[in-house]
Amino acid sequence: MASLPKRIIKETERLVSDPVPGITAEPHDDNLRYFEVTIEGPAGSPYENGIFQLELYLPDDYPMEAPKVRFLTKIYHPNIDRLGRICLDVLKTNWSPALQIRTVLLSIQALLASPNPNDPLANDVAEDWIKNEEGAKNKAREWTQLYATKK
Amino acid sequence: MGNSPTKLDSGNSTPNGSVVSGEYDISNNANYRHRSRHASLANGILNANTNTTTAYSSRQRAHSMFDKLDRDKQKRKSTKEREHLKEIHARGLVVKYDESCDGGFLAPFGCYGFDKLDYNIVMVKRLIVERKLAPFYTPLQDFDESWSREEIIKIVDGLPLHASFEDNIEEFEDVPLGNLDKPNFDYLIDKNLSKKDQRRQHSKIFKARLYRRRLIWQETANETFLEDKMDVRMGKVKNKYLPSDDLKYSLYKNGIECPICFLYIPGPLNYSKCCQQPICSECFVQIKRAEPHFPHEEVDPTKPVTDDFVKDPNLLISEPSNCPYCATPNFCITYKPPKTRRTGIGGISPSEFQDTEIKVEEVKEKEKDGIDGETSPRSSTSNDNTNLKPVDNKVSIISSDDIRPDWQIKLKKERQRLAKRAANAEAIHVSNQLVDPEYSTRQSSNSDIPTPSSFHGGNRSGAIDQIEDEMVQHAIRLSLEEQRRGKKN
Repeated sequence: MASLPKRIIKETERLVSDPVPGITAEPHDDNLRYFEVTIEGPAGSPYENGIFQLELYLPDDYPMEAPKVRFLTKIYHPNIDRLGRICLDVLKTNWSPALQIRTVLLSIQALLASPNPNDPLANDVAEDWIKNEEGAKNKAREWTQLYATKK
Repeated sequence: MGNSPTKLDSGNSTPNGSVVSGEYDISNNANYRHRSRHASLANGILNANTNTTTAYSSRQRAHSMFDKLDRDKQKRKSTKEREHLKEIHARGLVVKYDESCDGGFLAPFGCYGFDKLDYNIVMVKRLIVERKLAPFYTPLQDFDESWSREEIIKIVDGLPLHASFEDNIEEFEDVPLGNLDKPNFDYLIDKNLSKKDQRRQHSKIFKARLYRRRLIWQETANETFLEDKMDVRMGKVKNKYLPSDDLKYSLYKNGIECPICFLYIPGPLNYSKCCQQPICSECFVQIKRAEPHFPHEEVDPTKPVTDDFVKDPNLLISEPSNCPYCATPNFCITYKPPKTRRTGIGGISPSEFQDTEIKVEEVKEKEKDGIDGETSPRSSTSNDNTNLKPVDNKVSIISSDDIRPDWQIKLKKERQRLAKRAANAEAIHVSNQLVDPEYSTRQSSNSDIPTPSSFHGGNRSGAIDQIEDEMVQHAIRLSLEEQRRGKKN
């Protein structure tokens, strides 16, 4: 394993010294490219009051390649599938090396606030979302209650 | 895919006119796809027919079609030629202290991996020498404003020429290297393997050897650098390529943190043309087009998804890279070379550089008076203004494509590869339809996607020769029918 690039070290330091409200990201002790992340559900969304666990991994080519992020907490969302994989432009084709862990996590938080059922990853959820938005939101609220609330 | 609000939305649109064809909704265009594919097959068969006998099997016919495709391509380079080019490329990536420009170098420090440095080195070196792109500076991990001149010089003196290499790369583990001094390594290849596997082994060994050799080349350059530095420090010799203390200080006191690698780099940096954000050259050469891909579509979840396998290869696109900061398409940078130093190639010896802010003012005064400071010849005494050669005021614009001009070839190759695959599948599909009359009904019951797995080897053996002509005719008929239908629409 090559030494950790300065960029990752500095980003980690800055995440600690200047944290993002509603988001935490802590590197793993034995792998500094692996982060344990929590995101608070945005107010006004069906995910409000939920705290979602995610994992974030910085691949070898980071920052030329996007970080790999996945939800660990079960969530009912048209752009997040059963395995927690996220369909978000900045994690794929619209990734830019000028983005950071911080901005990616903010984008995910924004995705919770405004789901995009026309570009789904979880087809069944998206269908539900389009056909019966209120029902889908209620279900998302239920799941947040069930899986994403502090016990 | 959700659209994140953190970037401009322009990322999803295709600005390039040549790729607009990829924009229309392919999922609703199954007919078009089939039409074009039948037509191409029939054309290929017709072309093949003009110069071959009818004894050809369908597969051979298909192959002759590809031969034609291949002939149309540029003459392919032999493995040896390609390996030679790779070697030249790797040699060009070695940082040498006596090849410098304004205090930076012509090859990158090594923040990014060897296999990521696939830019055109001749082009980049030329741009650096012409002062159109910032040189590759040795970065500092950190910088503290409170450092004194002496401290900065001491730190710069301790800087290596190149980042340390990763010694044990997993990919090259257990790959034999043989004698690196001898170019031939055929004796390392297992002759019992199939031709294909031998080729594979050859390329694997070549890669591992090249990695190791580049490491040795760079280490040799590092050693020369250290030894020459020692000699100068001990007062043994003078070395015109090593920077003066003035140059070291002047370089690093006015550095800036690159927003992408977070490293501290001497200025001036390159700036994005669109939004005037700094970017160091090492990061700039990393920004490139994405691999050829199909355009991302927003789909209706209630409709079935189109597999990449059945998409028209001509829809493959390759978009110019976006600005990493503001996502403006076709990323370009501008670079204004330093006014206060012009050292190394095309300038004075780095060892002769003297830093005096006053001199800059003097030059400005002289220029105002209409006296050309450039006319005086370079002298070793440097008690005049020869440090400062007036710089071209014209600002050049360099795009990401400029330093990787081969993107079109790459796209063409990928399209050809897909076209070949699709045509192969189509040939199998058509032959199966003819050999086995029930084949098509069975196929269409689940999908119209021809796959290589639907090949019925057993049925083919005897019947194939007799149905030769039938097949050709059938393919042509299909194609003509489709064309007619297309015209009507």
